[in-house]
Amino acid sequence: MANEEAKKPEGALNRRDVLRALTTVPAALVPIGPAVARVAKRQARPPVPQSGTGEYQRQTFDEHEWKTVRLLSDYIIPRDERSGSATEAAVPEFIDDWLALRGGEALAAVRGGLIWLDLESQRAYGRDFVDSPPDQQKQMLDRIAFPKTAAPEDAAGVTFFNHLRDLVVSGFFSSKMGVQDLPYLGNQMLSEWPGCPSEVMEKIRKNEAKRRTA
Amino acid sequence: MSELIPSPKIYDAVIVGSGAGGGVAGYVLTRAGAKCLMLEAGDWYDTAKQSKMMEWTYDAPHRGASHGHTFGYFDAAVGGWQVEGEPYLSAPGQEFRWFRSRMLGGRTNHWGRISLRMGPYDFKPYSRDGKGFDWPITYDDLAPYYDKTEELIGVFGSHEGLENTPDGKFQPAPKPRCYELVIQKACQKLGIPCIPSRLSIITQPLNGRPACHYCGQCGRSCATSSNFSSPTVLLPPALKTGNLEIRCNAMAREVLVDGEGRATGVSYIDKKTRKEVQVRSKVVVLAASACESARLLLNSKSPRHPNGLANSSGLVGKYLMDTVGADGSDGFLPILMDLPPHNCDGVGGMHLYMPWWNYQRQLRRELPFARGYHIEFGGGRGMPGPYSGYGTEKFLGGGYGVELKRGVRKLHGAFVGFSCRGEMIPNEDSYCEIDPTVVDQWGVPVLKFHFKWTQDEILMAKHSREIFEEIILTAGGEVLSRFSADDNWGISKGGEIIHEVGTTRMGDDRRTSVLNPYCQAWDSKTLFVTDGAPFCSNADKNPTLSIMALAWRTSEYIAEQVRKGSV
Repeated sequence: MANEEAKKPEGALNRRDVLRALTTVPAALVPIGPAVARVAKRQARPPVPQSGTGEYQRQTFDEHEWKTVRLLSDYIIPRDERSGSATEAAVPEFIDDWLALRGGEALAAVRGGLIWLDLESQRAYGRDFVDSPPDQQKQMLDRIAFPKTAAPEDAAGVTFFNHLRDLVVSGFFSSKMGVQDLPYLGNQMLSEWPGCPSEVMEKIRKNEAKRRTA
Repeated sequence: MSELIPSPKIYDAVIVGSGAGGGVAGYVLTRAGAKCLMLEAGDWYDTAKQSKMMEWTYDAPHRGASHGHTFGYFDAAVGGWQVEGEPYLSAPGQEFRWFRSRMLGGRTNHWGRISLRMGPYDFKPYSRDGKGFDWPITYDDLAPYYDKTEELIGVFGSHEGLENTPDGKFQPAPKPRCYELVIQKACQKLGIPCIPSRLSIITQPLNGRPACHYCGQCGRSCATSSNFSSPTVLLPPALKTGNLEIRCNAMAREVLVDGEGRATGVSYIDKKTRKEVQVRSKVVVLAASACESARLLLNSKSPRHPNGLANSSGLVGKYLMDTVGADGSDGFLPILMDLPPHNCDGVGGMHLYMPWWNYQRQLRRELPFARGYHIEFGGGRGMPGPYSGYGTEKFLGGGYGVELKRGVRKLHGAFVGFSCRGEMIPNEDSYCEIDPTVVDQWGVPVLKFHFKWTQDEILMAKHSREIFEEIILTAGGEVLSRFSADDNWGISKGGEIIHEVGTTRMGDDRRTSVLNPYCQAWDSKTLFVTDGAPFCSNADKNPTLSIMALAWRTSEYIAEQVRKGSV
């Protein structure tokens, strides 16, 4: 998975959580940012459901935001030949719960971004994002989904979409469906540690050779 | 607090703390036949029942993120940088962070298990470069106790014969992970040693403990006792002797003394009743953690000890040290992309590490800083968590849809992060003292910290950043994090590496040390310290193994003195 250092969500980051998630970083690597202290202590809530069919009480989004976030989530992670879509993996529920926990700027950035998206959609097509036809929705997303080529006047939309993409991708690949999709093959009791499998080393060598010739 | 509960029994020893130092003292003393009482400020902890081992992130609240837990939901520590009702202060403009685990076994429940012996140079650093202080003992004095400790707790490693990096009594080391082999190859090109790490995780059964099952979750505490913690390895055999009584929720507040000023017991607050209890003993062993032990001594004022117990030298609380940390040097390695899925968990920590390799260059004064660091690194296809998908646009150019989904899969496991763990030289500006104007919720005056790095530490951090970049680039990677002189090369805050030592230093001369060469207070023959407080220096080698070896040596000495009737 991508490294979170590329983009730090304001006030939400515990680097050790992150590295733990990304890697098997030793517990003694204790890189803690000052962000930790700012994270509000909240009552632990039960885990969100693992599929979009479960009961879930929304905490953050209103009905319109919810519709928009669900639509955007499936644009970001659609169903494909290997696994289901973000809504099938209950990613919107994860995001709603996550933003309820984090609050602050992380929440403001998403809610503000949703308004930005509707305003731009209204300007361009006369409709809110969710009410636009799919081709117009895609045109809208193409403006903000590619940071390197986006127009400077869409910079706020790019920031919003990067943030939402972070949440959707993280929510999907840390769900049960996402873990099986990757697949992450650990969290098992092994009687012996095999080391690095030869086929993996072989692929690394190939990648290396390809890189050298490139 | 109004009601004093007398305790008529006189123990051979009262041990304050149940972690690495207290656990070893309890183990050695009870097995020598001494009747011991152990006081623990936190609650009982049953590793087998309370460990969150093998839980999935998706079954945890907020995917296991931090909310009130310093290191996230899964971490075993009960406590953190802040403990409710138990504040501490830092001097204006300075910051020291004090991690406390309030639980049976203390920080041994969640620590990194990195178990490195100090080497011969590390005991005589002043003699080598004129900075800091020498220890009153040598490597050879402690070596037999390293042997015993390693044989008891179980440490894996390899025999390398490297300079000032003593080998130990090792179990076989686990094979490296794929990304570790890639980094090892880069290090070979650069002339940096990259060898099997040395962790107190067992790869073979030991004393009824099964070998590691390679789930990679040591920080959650191990439900099968396959790594070292005090409650799973030290306390059960001590309890089995019938000589150990453990009282939890006992917040020590003062060491009691007789008219001669000798330690005779401990006064603590029973957290359940909020009342003071006094316990009596022939010997008092402090193992409450370096800062907490110093706090206890400074708060133990009597007519004979107006500045606190064992403080005639004025050095209690002084020369506080932590480890130099430079974390978050991350690299993106495209050659690790799109690998065949495989289980990359391994033990709960690195399988390889890089010990310090520049002793001879430093002897020739070729480096701009004194002392060394070792490198820790991590990476691989770990269990995904709530931040696992951040920043993908940097590597995939953004986008959405099926293309993005495929791209993210390929990125899993393509990142490696490096950390420096280096030696801090003790300095006059780093110490803790009592702030008499503030008490915690148990009525105990709190600590105020002073902390400063010197150029030696800052330039060490700089050197490490340059080395990390070289390693990443040599491995064909892209350097993701940049540091500069403006941020002191991202050096950690004091305390942040959780290796605080040195507040009741041992020595040969009672005017310049708090403890004698057996960690016995110069000012009270019945008082000993067995945590990190006796340290005279803080080598890059993580302190826990040395705390335990030193505690073992001290405890044998106590047992001998009690037998001879000299205390």
